[in-house]
Amino acid sequence: MSKKLLSLLVFGVLITALVAALKLVNWVPSALQEGALRKYGSIDEVKAKLKITDVFAPAYYPQCFSWPPSQIAAQTRPYTAVVMEFNRKDSREACLIISQVASPHVLPEEKIKLTRVAESVRYQLRGRDALLEVGVCEENIMCSRISWNEKGYRISVAMKSAPVDLIRIAESMTARPGK
Amino acid sequence: MDTAVFLNSYPGMYLVQSFFHSLIAALVVDTALQAWNIEGPVIRQRFRLIVIFIPLISFPLYQLLNPARSGLTFRLEALLDVNRWLDIEVWGVVPVSLFFFLFLGFATAVFLFQEMVPIVRHAFASRDVAAERTRPTPGSPVVRALDALPGEKPDVFILDDDELVLFSVTGRRPAVFLSSGLVRALTVEQLRAAMAHEIGHIRRSRRPLLVVVFLLRVLMFFNPVALMEFRRIVQEEENICDDVAVAMTGNSTALAEVLEKFYYTDDEENPVPMQDAPGLRGRLEEYSHTMLIESRISRLAADPAQQEGRRLSVFFLTLATVLFINYFVV
Repeated sequence: MSKKLLSLLVFGVLITALVAALKLVNWVPSALQEGALRKYGSIDEVKAKLKITDVFAPAYYPQCFSWPPSQIAAQTRPYTAVVMEFNRKDSREACLIISQVASPHVLPEEKIKLTRVAESVRYQLRGRDALLEVGVCEENIMCSRISWNEKGYRISVAMKSAPVDLIRIAESMTARPGK
Repeated sequence: MDTAVFLNSYPGMYLVQSFFHSLIAALVVDTALQAWNIEGPVIRQRFRLIVIFIPLISFPLYQLLNPARSGLTFRLEALLDVNRWLDIEVWGVVPVSLFFFLFLGFATAVFLFQEMVPIVRHAFASRDVAAERTRPTPGSPVVRALDALPGEKPDVFILDDDELVLFSVTGRRPAVFLSSGLVRALTVEQLRAAMAHEIGHIRRSRRPLLVVVFLLRVLMFFNPVALMEFRRIVQEEENICDDVAVAMTGNSTALAEVLEKFYYTDDEENPVPMQDAPGLRGRLEEYSHTMLIESRISRLAADPAQQEGRRLSVFFLTLATVLFINYFVV
């Protein structure tokens, strides 16, 4: 075996070991302390394991989205947060993201980001003061987002579509909290 | 301030990620240097620049590529989500992040008191140097040593000082300064090697890499990995100038003997003579003189003047590895 190839092999093995060590280091906190961010299989599991009583899920969502959510991530430490992603039935791309975060915390950017907000208006969502934003996401796709406060959480619903369906989804969440 | 709020802010994420990105970059770079057995100081210095430069820009660069990288869903897929550690509460009360930021604060204090304060102090003290200098007399050991060196030569001045002092200043009028004590202590061969080393610094100052690296390092004042790596880069600079001196004189033993004189004549509290040199680069060089003389002596004894290739493919492989791994460290 040539010296160069051997060096490359040694480098590859050591870097693989480094990656494995990083994975291990990433896993340890979940063993040390409950409530760290991790994936869950269902909303019921989130409620049961994290003892979060209010997980806001929509009672209505357009038929083009697949149920259950393609991904549910939740944490209670350092603050409570639940993020749900929904894909369209015909794609694996996240098209609807619902997040709830214990106030006053805010979630950093998620997959659906309004790169340009064309319109931002106050909207009365079943008596709640909500902020409705309409604009475009990456690749100039029309996106909309609505956010409001509910039971100590900041709830945000972002969707890759016009706001009509978004408002219906949001209204279904306020009508029946806990579902 | 709630540390969890700060950790999720862009400044907080920058502080945390730049530290861990530099740590991982240092591990990858050291792995590459060992795997390919890279010994040449010029090449090693180039590799070490990755550790200083990449963490400075990695966070904004990755955010630009993927703004959702800071989101919870990306963190779930990350190789290492540092916040999982920083959010742990010791005794259920104190978050680990508090200790982490105290650690960065300590690194900042080290930077201020070990690097910035000495530089400022030496800048003020250096004003006296010019007044006490004299040119060496024709036929003196210094002039004979200088005449034996090839290429363009800088001005050489003698300082009236019994301590062993040797440094150079760069800029428009580069010069080498030797103390009268040093001139008495060294043979002509050793003087030649010593001045060749300083001429190496002057020649390399035309490409003021160290100053640029130092400025980058200043921007990373909070980062202890950058502090360590900068010191290693400075050490490589000394090795490079040792190689220049050996190439000019063809005599590594004489330079090793000079270093031994510096090393063994100093007391423990102040192991290397320090005098003041004007200009940022001069002060950086002076700072570098305090470092690891013994390893330089060992290196000179092992005949360092072996040429290596540029190792560009290895460099870019290492850079790509650093960029790729760090993308998944949030």
